[in-house]
Amino acid sequence: MSKPVSSFKLHLRAVATGLKYLLFPNRITVYYPEEYVEPPEGYRGLIRYYPERCIQCGLCAMICPASAMKMYRTKTDRKGRPGVNYQRCIFCGFCVDICPQNALEMTKVHDVAYESLNELVVPPERFSQEPVSPAVAGGARRLKTVFDEERGLRHELA
Amino acid sequence: MLRSSEAGGVVYSRLIAKEGDESTYELFIGPQHPASGHMRFIVRLEGDIIVSVDPDIGYVHRTMEKLAEGREVIKSIPLLERMTIIDSHNVTLGLVRALEKLLDVEPPPRARYLRTLLSEINRIASHLYGMGIAGIMLNHSTMFMWAFGDREVWIQLAEDLSGSRLTHTYSVPGGVRRDLPQGFADKAEKAIRYMEKRLRDYMAIFLDNPQVRARYEGVGVLRKSEASRLGIVGPNLRASGIRYDARLAEDYAAYSELEFEVPVREEGDALARMLVRVEEIKQSMSIIRQVLRKIPDGPFFSEKYLRLLPPPLREQVAKTGRVKFPGVFASLKLPEGDAVSRVEMGHGEIFYHVTGNGSTKPYRLRVVTPSFRNVILFRYLMPGHRFMDFPAIYGSLDYFPPEADR
Ligand code: SF4
Ligand code: SF4
Repeated sequence: MSKPVSSFKLHLRAVATGLKYLLFPNRITVYYPEEYVEPPEGYRGLIRYYPERCIQCGLCAMICPASAMKMYRTKTDRKGRPGVNYQRCIFCGFCVDICPQNALEMTKVHDVAYESLNELVVPPERFSQEPVSPAVAGGARRLKTVFDEERGLRHELA
Repeated sequence: MLRSSEAGGVVYSRLIAKEGDESTYELFIGPQHPASGHMRFIVRLEGDIIVSVDPDIGYVHRTMEKLAEGREVIKSIPLLERMTIIDSHNVTLGLVRALEKLLDVEPPPRARYLRTLLSEINRIASHLYGMGIAGIMLNHSTMFMWAFGDREVWIQLAEDLSGSRLTHTYSVPGGVRRDLPQGFADKAEKAIRYMEKRLRDYMAIFLDNPQVRARYEGVGVLRKSEASRLGIVGPNLRASGIRYDARLAEDYAAYSELEFEVPVREEGDALARMLVRVEEIKQSMSIIRQVLRKIPDGPFFSEKYLRLLPPPLREQVAKTGRVKFPGVFASLKLPEGDAVSRVEMGHGEIFYHVTGNGSTKPYRLRVVTPSFRNVILFRYLMPGHRFMDFPAIYGSLDYFPPEADR
C-alpha cells in the first residue's frame, strides 16, 4: 500500500468507527443470575412429563437419537413409563413431537445445575415435576429479547 | 527434546527436516494450538518463508458416516448436524433431501420456503463466524467480537423459528417441524436493517482498513484454473472467478422461485474471499426479505405423513403450527436404492449419498463436506509466503476442521 493520502483517510475512518462504538457501545451483556432472559415461545428446554395422559406406548424412547429417554419399570404399572437421562439428552424435541398423547412437553427452563451425575437421571416420578430455573426461583429480574435496528438486540423487562 | 546443532551453538528442534540442509525447519502447529482448530499443520520453513504445508486432519475423528449407518434414519439428522454446528440447518438439509428422494415424499411449498429462510439465516451466521475467526487470526479482536456479537442476532432469529439456538433439527423428511412464529417478519426486518449498517462498519474498521488490506491483498492467490482443477467449493471458488453455486445447480428448497445474485470476484486472493462473504451476507438478507414476502399459505408438513395422524392431532398441528410425527417416524424404512443430493452451505457445497436396503437403517451413508474439499488449499496456497501470512490465508479460507473429520 503505497497510497499515503487515501490510506490516511481510510485509517482515520477505521479509528473513527472504533471511537463511535467506544462512546456509544451496543453491549448485550446480561447479568445472570441477577437477570434472566426469558426464552421465546416454543423454546426447547427441559422436558416435563404428564403421567396421566401417557398410554405407555414407548414411542418417545424409540425415537430418541441420544438414547436419553428410556422406559422404566414401575411398581404399579405392567408397562414402562419414560424417564430421561440429561447427561445424554440433546434437547432435539423428537420425543415431544412423536408423543401421540401430548404427555411430554418442552418447558422454557434451561439453566438448571445438578450437583451429582446421579441427579441428572430423571426417573418417571421426578420427570412429572415442573422444572424450576434456579435464577427465577432466586428472584432474578426477567428480561425479554427485543430486536432493534439500531442495536441489533436489546433486553427489556418482561 | 532439543539438541544443539554444531554450528554456532544454535538450538534447533530435532524435527529439522531431512530434505535439504538444516536451514529447512519443520514446525508443527496443533492439534491443540488455539489457531489450528482440531487439526495439525506440518509447516516447513526456510527462514520465515513457507516451503510447504501438510494439513494433517483426523484429530476430531468422529466417524459420523459409520455412526449414522448404525441407527434409524431419523436419528441421523441430529447426529449429522453436529458436523458443522455453526451452520446446522444447511448441513442437514442435504441429508433430508436425499432421504426424501428415497422415501418418495415431497415437502409442501410452505415448507420449502421455511427451509430457505432458516438456511439463509444459517448462512449469515456461518459467514459471521468465519469473518470473526479471520479477524482474530490477524489479531483484530474488534472484528472477532463484533462478528460474534452480531451472530447472536441471527442465532436469536433461528431460535425464534426453531426453538433452539444452534442445533435446530428443523427439516425432517416431509417438511419442517415448526411454522413461522407470529411477528417473525418484523423481527427479521429489524435484524436486516441493523446488519446492513453494521456491514458498512465492518468495511470501515476491517476490510477497508489499510492495515488489514496490507495483510490480505495479493496474498494466497488461487487462480481460476487451479480452483477448478482442485475441486474447490463455496465462496473460495467464487472468489477465483468461477460462478458455481449448488443453490443454482440443484433444485432444492425455494431457490428456483427467488431472485438472487451469486457474488463472484476475479482476484482470487484472501481479500476477494472475504469480500465475497460480505456480498453473500447481503444476498442472503435479500433472500430472507423475499421469502417473508412471498411465502405461500398451506401446510408445512407433507400430507403423506399428516394422513397417518389421528384427526385431533392433525387439527392440533394446523392450530399450533408445531408438527406431530406419526408413529412410523421412529422406524422409517428406507426402500432399496440410492439417492444423492447436494446443498450449498456457508462453507460451500455439501454432497450426500444414501443407500437404502429396505431396513430402517441406511445401508450406506456418505458425506463429502466443503471443508474436506477445501483443506487441500493449505498445501497449494501457502508456499512462498511469509509465515506471518499463514493465519491470514487460513482465516480467509473459512475452514472448519470438525467438518472435514466427518
Ligand atoms: S429431547 Fe431428544 S435427546 Fe432429549 S430425550 Fe427427547 S428425544 Fe431424547
Ligand atoms: S410417547 Fe407419549 S404416550 Fe407414548 S410412552 Fe412416551 S410419553 Fe407416554
